[in-house]
Amino acid sequence: MLERGLEEKTYVLNLGPQHPSTHGVLRVELEMEGEFITKADPDIGYGHRGHEHMAENRTYPQFLPNMGRVDYLHALAYNQGYCMAVEKLIGLTVPERGEYIRVITAELNRITSHLLWVGAYLLDLGAFTPILYSFDDRENALDLLDYLTGSRLTYCFYRFGGVPVDIDDDFTEGCRKFIQRLRHRFADYDDLVTKNVIFIHRTRDVGFITQEQCIKYGLTGPMLRGSGIPFDIRKSEPYSVYPQFDFEIPIGEQGDVLDRYLVRVREMEQSLRIIEQALDQIPQGPIMAEKVPKRIKPAAGEVYTAVESARGEFGCFVVSAGDPKPYRIKLRVPSFGNLSILPEIAVDTLVADLVAILGSIDVVVPEIDR
Amino acid sequence: MLKDNIQKALAPLNLEQVAAGEYDKTGYHLEVTAAPEQMPEVAKAMLSLGCFLESLTGLHYPEHFTLVYHFNNFRELCRTAVHVQVPLDQEAPTISHIYPGANWYEREAYDLYGIRFAGHPDLRRILLPFDADFHPLLKKFEEKPADA
Repeated sequence: MLERGLEEKTYVLNLGPQHPSTHGVLRVELEMEGEFITKADPDIGYGHRGHEHMAENRTYPQFLPNMGRVDYLHALAYNQGYCMAVEKLIGLTVPERGEYIRVITAELNRITSHLLWVGAYLLDLGAFTPILYSFDDRENALDLLDYLTGSRLTYCFYRFGGVPVDIDDDFTEGCRKFIQRLRHRFADYDDLVTKNVIFIHRTRDVGFITQEQCIKYGLTGPMLRGSGIPFDIRKSEPYSVYPQFDFEIPIGEQGDVLDRYLVRVREMEQSLRIIEQALDQIPQGPIMAEKVPKRIKPAAGEVYTAVESARGEFGCFVVSAGDPKPYRIKLRVPSFGNLSILPEIAVDTLVADLVAILGSIDVVVPEIDR
Repeated sequence: MLKDNIQKALAPLNLEQVAAGEYDKTGYHLEVTAAPEQMPEVAKAMLSLGCFLESLTGLHYPEHFTLVYHFNNFRELCRTAVHVQVPLDQEAPTISHIYPGANWYEREAYDLYGIRFAGHPDLRRILLPFDADFHPLLKKFEEKPADA
């Protein structure tokens, strides 16, 4: 400590890498004076698996399963982003029914991600009960996804050109029941959490992020919308069949932790609306494109596609050199940019508030580490 | 139109290329090619128009690195891709004093490729262990891929 030229009253605290509030292996090195933080330095990379390097050594279809393992909480958005990039490279169009199934499953997956966040975040803040409720609800959605895709977490469901399995009446029925159930439960969540005085005191006026900071750090997702900027890829750069649905982008007012919480909760309601409309409007027809090449070998070129994951913009930047394997795939993950603001907003806060701030970023560390 | 404004703002910088991109094919509204030393000026121009840095990454070619900067805007969709060729043995100037968010992206590019950014305040490895002695995404060009 003294070697670093710090004063004697300053001390260094390691938050993590095995800390429950870091949701994965994230270490934050804190320099503190008393309980106040003077410097925070996140140390990432504990879960670095080298997905981008793997991409260069695999053919395009072989890389598909990797996409379920980058952000394991909203895996289907990653499936979609990567499939869209490859489809753009080889000029495939997904039939409309296929797109609808993608939207329904991706939105269900977004809800499971947010539900997990709500439960885990409140657990961070010391409220034990909400996680029991949210996992109960999440279980229902996971069962539905399990029924359709065959897996509960690391999905590899979309294919280049569509989806492999069609939805049936049981799935549709289950979705409608789930929507109804969750809408009921939102009232409980409101009573239990959103109106809870202790919760409000912990989160109101903590961890402000200004709009200017959002631009400088390239924040996306609920982190950005909490600060009042209505930027959502589903609206601003519409992909798939999202333009056909009527939904809103919830935004916060002042950009504190509570706003980010409210944005996520309201986003779940919007996702329910999207699923409901999609179930009503889904057309009959094929779910896979007719002519999917057996061997995928795109012409040389590069492509960037973006989708809205539960944490923000997931961008898939693929460079092809005309080989069956990609020349380079860069995964632009939202948590990476979102976490990079932590050193700035953590300064001069209490260490107890840091847990509230860190949780509100909703980091999925394996996604940052890739 | 933001696209025109960006083109206008970049015009005085005498960049190698500022052209409309083929959005349907690449996802870019604007494609820009710049020299490394022009990058801070480009970043300043983009920031003054309220654009944010979407992603920054490198590409390794036999003769040079190519840094690819993606900018986008929260208010109006306009993705600008800036390609910058950096010779293998040279540094690129940092833009982290303009976009603090670039700090981590530049550290990542250094970590994966060994590209050094002149003026970066804290150019350490970020994903790999600090004592790693290699840069994982460097390609081995002498080997021919087995299935080529």
